Amino acid sequence: MTKHGYRLGVDVGGTFTDLVLHDEVTGAQRVHKVSSTPDDPSRAIVEGLHQLCELARVGPADIRLVVHGTTVATNMVIERTGVRVGMLTTEGFRDVMHIGRKKRPYNFSHSQDVPWQRHPLVRRRDRLTVPERVTAPAGAVEVPLDTEAVRAAAQRFREEGVGGVAVCFLFSFLNPEHERRAAEILRAELPGTFVSASHEVVPLHREYERFSSTAMNVYVGPGTSRYLRNLQDSLATYGVASGVRLMTSSGGVVTASAAAELPVTLLMSGPAGGLLAGIQTGVDTGHRSVITLDVGGTSSDIGVAPDGELRMKHLLDTRIRDYQVMVPMADIETIGAGGGSIATVSGQGVLEVGPASAGATPGPVCYGRGGTEPTASDAAAVLGWLRPETFFGGRLPLRVEAARAAVKARIADPLGLSVPEAALGIHTVMTHTMAAAILQLSVRRGHDPRRFDLVAQGGAGPLFACSVGAEVGARRVVVPPHPGIASALGLLSTDLRYEYAASVWQSSGALDIGRLGTVLAGLADTATARLRADGLGPDETDLEFFADCRYAGQGYELRVRTIGPRVDDSWVAETVGRFHDLHEATYRSRFEQTEVQIVNIRVIGVGRMPRPPHLRVAPAPAGATPWPVAVIKSWFRYDDRPRLFETPVYQRADLAPGMRFTGPAIVEQPDTTTVVEPRFTGSVDDAGNLVLVREERG
Amino acid sequence: MRAAGTVEPVGTSPGPLTERFWRTVEVDPVTFRVIGGALKSIAGEMAQILYRMAYSSVIRESEDLGAGLFDVDGREFCESDSTPMHIGSLPAYIRGCNARWRGRYEPDDVIVHNHPFSGSSHSPDYGVLVPIFWQGQHIAFAGCTGHLLDVGGAAPAISIDAIDVYAEGRLLDAVKIESRGVRNEELWRHVMGNVRTGEANAGDVEAMIACCRLGVTRFGELVDRYGIDTVMSSIERWQSLVESRLRAVIEAVPDGTYHAPDGFYDDDGLNHGVPVPLRTSVTVSGSDIVIDLTGSADETPTACNCPFEGSVLPTANYAVRTLFLDEAKTDEFLPQNDGIFRPVSVRAPRGTIFNPTFPRATSGRFPLINRIPDQVNLALAQVLPELVTAGNSASVQGVAYSGVDEHTGNYWVHLEIGEGAYGGRYGRDGIDAVDNLMANTRNAPVEEVELRSPLRCERYELRDHPPAPGRWRGGVGSVRRWRFLVPTMLGANGDSRSDVPRGLFGGADGVSGRLVRNAGRPDAVVLSSRFSGLRFAAGETLDVEVPSGAGYGDPLERDPSAVLADVRDGLYSPDAAREAFGVLLTADGSMLDVDGTAGLRGRRVAEPTTGPVDRVTG
Repeated sequence: MTKHGYRLGVDVGGTFTDLVLHDEVTGAQRVHKVSSTPDDPSRAIVEGLHQLCELARVGPADIRLVVHGTTVATNMVIERTGVRVGMLTTEGFRDVMHIGRKKRPYNFSHSQDVPWQRHPLVRRRDRLTVPERVTAPAGAVEVPLDTEAVRAAAQRFREEGVGGVAVCFLFSFLNPEHERRAAEILRAELPGTFVSASHEVVPLHREYERFSSTAMNVYVGPGTSRYLRNLQDSLATYGVASGVRLMTSSGGVVTASAAAELPVTLLMSGPAGGLLAGIQTGVDTGHRSVITLDVGGTSSDIGVAPDGELRMKHLLDTRIRDYQVMVPMADIETIGAGGGSIATVSGQGVLEVGPASAGATPGPVCYGRGGTEPTASDAAAVLGWLRPETFFGGRLPLRVEAARAAVKARIADPLGLSVPEAALGIHTVMTHTMAAAILQLSVRRGHDPRRFDLVAQGGAGPLFACSVGAEVGARRVVVPPHPGIASALGLLSTDLRYEYAASVWQSSGALDIGRLGTVLAGLADTATARLRADGLGPDETDLEFFADCRYAGQGYELRVRTIGPRVDDSWVAETVGRFHDLHEATYRSRFEQTEVQIVNIRVIGVGRMPRPPHLRVAPAPAGATPWPVAVIKSWFRYDDRPRLFETPVYQRADLAPGMRFTGPAIVEQPDTTTVVEPRFTGSVDDAGNLVLVREERG
Repeated sequence: MRAAGTVEPVGTSPGPLTERFWRTVEVDPVTFRVIGGALKSIAGEMAQILYRMAYSSVIRESEDLGAGLFDVDGREFCESDSTPMHIGSLPAYIRGCNARWRGRYEPDDVIVHNHPFSGSSHSPDYGVLVPIFWQGQHIAFAGCTGHLLDVGGAAPAISIDAIDVYAEGRLLDAVKIESRGVRNEELWRHVMGNVRTGEANAGDVEAMIACCRLGVTRFGELVDRYGIDTVMSSIERWQSLVESRLRAVIEAVPDGTYHAPDGFYDDDGLNHGVPVPLRTSVTVSGSDIVIDLTGSADETPTACNCPFEGSVLPTANYAVRTLFLDEAKTDEFLPQNDGIFRPVSVRAPRGTIFNPTFPRATSGRFPLINRIPDQVNLALAQVLPELVTAGNSASVQGVAYSGVDEHTGNYWVHLEIGEGAYGGRYGRDGIDAVDNLMANTRNAPVEEVELRSPLRCERYELRDHPPAPGRWRGGVGSVRRWRFLVPTMLGANGDSRSDVPRGLFGGADGVSGRLVRNAGRPDAVVLSSRFSGLRFAAGETLDVEVPSGAGYGDPLERDPSAVLADVRDGLYSPDAAREAFGVLLTADGSMLDVDGTAGLRGRRVAEPTTGPVDRVTG
């Protein structure tokens, strides 16, 4: 018997911890789910791993890689449980964090709070200034660093008991010497205190965004480091010898030590895993352009990957909660529409669904845990799309009558509708909310959703996928084998990625090619060294090069993939040419006569993780049709009216490649229920994906 | 001053429909909700196209634009929620274009318009309109507005001393730049060839046209899917619904006329030191609200005049909507449409700063109109004490820095829009250092400015002057200090609020702003808040201090722990805590002296009041 190696993907969510064990030789996957342990998430991980190893008869020592997606840092931001942060900054600039970009969140409101003022990452009393000043464009020192003032500040931070210090000086991206020296003094004076300098976190121009990113890094730094140490110790004690790697917001993975230094890069990693899984689904089906719709209890994550490309968010949109952080994040939009979204009728008689959610407690009415307000899930129960026999694998009761009563009393009666009309109305409003978000994300970036497959993910994604797919005109709807654990699966489908960037501020008309070349080569060396330190050889690594460009006079850049590391005239021509193309694709216009500014350059060091073969599922005999486990009465919208259908119910496990069936139908599996609307035809591909295609309207 | 009170109030809404080209039908609640959402999405998508595709940073980063769908008279179906200044300005542009083209629009026409005396907000705000046809009939418009970088006036950026509207920019009075989809290339070349930033303007106008075309397409798709009767019946119902929602809250206010304290503007930019009077009252009768600006100053010979339809009316709508339908208080889906304008109208006699006559210059209107919502707040404070703010910075301090690069010979210009601060509010302190009221733009990072322009920022922080005391204190304004590395020309348009933001209910008045040349040097001088063409030598500095908002409520009622927090954050000294708030701290300033504070406050309350008094008059 060959000794198999395994990879483990672990995604920790608020309610469940999902684990995937991937056989590196056969590609076989085994999935498992345990309840999360929010007080110390590593307990659930080890517990889940233990159960999974038992089930799969795998020894912990055979696990060669653990890839982890964690919301530990994110939760500290949401629950405001990070450390008290001190900031050392340039004299004259104490309030950069308070003023921010001066734009308030709402146009029309006297009562609004400005979040970064109401709940500052660093309070004014903890923002201390020291004399020093570096200037543009060459990083010359105008005011030398007053090291005595730095020591005095250290003393003050010690007395005040701050939990970490951010060192944020103006123009440190041009000359980091002052920051480096100040951080060195602080580390010496405050041993054991988490200290980050802004040039270490994100060495790019725009002081508010850089300071805010650095403050955030410090805010979540100590807690994240502690958690990662605990996790590694627990896994080692259990017998897992491999190191842990962490998913970042940009959809790459980094080592635990890199993550502990830059926890700010982990904050939006959860949704990134889902989009990566969707991209992998596109690879499996052979149609790489995908839109992912990951619907959970309270919200939905929507991602658009043209040609399977993982795109990064625009700089203006990279924030966590209300805090700006200037780190790359996968372009995913989260909207307040989920299975638990509450339906109401306003005083004006308007039907609303969400963004308020019944969450996990009390949950939808049909869960019978005390919820009284009808939700999207209740609508699904009323319509006959969820069955008591199989709800959560038959482990939880489904209170259809209670849901029906709630929909009747709170929605149908006030609107003068029948109960099925009201329930379909709730579903329709949700569908349009999701469709509008997809259209904004795709059309506004110049992509036609009709050329994309819609990949349904999350516990509730497959409930909505057909109606949303029809609404946006998606090519097909694809439901992968395990939609409920998409984020965990995504962890195993990416590479090690380390991104390094520098502001260079060059114009195409007057380029300092020598300097560009030096900076780019320096970034490439740093990235390569990092990968070597992770034990990867030259044949396992790649470098990717990017330039953030804009037309002279514009205020924000586009991230352009380019070549490198050698910078010469052809590099310039290539970069500028690609920028014109990208600008046109993104904004529909190009300005060939205008000077192009190269603001930042970036290098990503990629450590390729070999993709294990995906298991191909054995096909069913030719012409086989699936056998329903039941036929039930369910409501669907048909010709714009509610209509009751005799609806077959299939078990996902019974569906094999080559089988075909027509909608309406319900497909059940332990982690989700797929609703196949009328006029859709279902089939299974050889990777086990359920593929749903809408007939052209006759 | 001219005869007052004789003009009829005017609102943004064109009034009730007189004829319908559709059949009114019942729409089921789900379809009704879906069409409401679709209209909002269309406006949002139009705005997205515009600001993503536009060249200039004004439209793209400040989102200084508006976009939506309207009927042939300008009744709004939907509009993007971008900048308050633009929302509801398009109906006036439509009226201006109709004056020339009514009955003669053709499919795929593109109209460009910026004439301030024919509905535009001011000449830099171009409007683009594309008519929408259904079954051969002109039924609607897709339209958008956007702020262009330069429109070919006498001076780049700020020219407060423009002698008339022609000195401020090239005027386009409902010009058909495309007829039935065919561009008039020579006209296009002429329009773009007579501004300083032709290529950027061309990019922006292309984006505006694309935005309107998208609106035409999307509206057509909506009609194809649901039918014209259902779509138009839904729109009419959404308009009524929004109207009745707003009317219900206005109706709760007791009928009457409420006066703001008389205010004034520093000066008109020409006659320095001569204040310009502002008078505002608000009349509520039933569910209607009239903002009366009668008694405000005569129009000025400078650019301190506000186009009535394009600027004053949107500002009035903003003031009412912000008070009565505060966005932060509700998740309710209330789409922007004509209904929100219907209860609101404004009275402003012709020939005054709020209703100037042709050919007055108007480009410097912003600091002036931003006083309107501040005055409306003060007027309604007695009846809506929990909804208003105490006096705000209200004005906006713009400063334009420019010069000629000695190596390249090129012009450089940096335009800075200073933030402001809010007055205290019921239950909350005023917001510090953000854009105030009608303004809501982003600042330029110091690191961006210094890389682009020969300027050195020596300071960008909250002001040192303590904030206005109150139970809820006023927000703190900011200070910037720029040092000029080369000879630099400055223009400014703002208001220092020599008429300080007014305190409410015992809160202290706010703090004036200042422009100071060479602060801290023997030759330091305080400048006027608006001027043109002032030259600075290399090495000189300018401090821009923006006004701080006023306090709300009696400072003796302020939560002592909030006072302590402000002391620890360096906003007040321990002495100020004692004097202004009756709060005593321990000797090291780190903790409250609870008993001492109670005693001091008790004695203060017993004394005859010498503190700030309620400045609002009935």
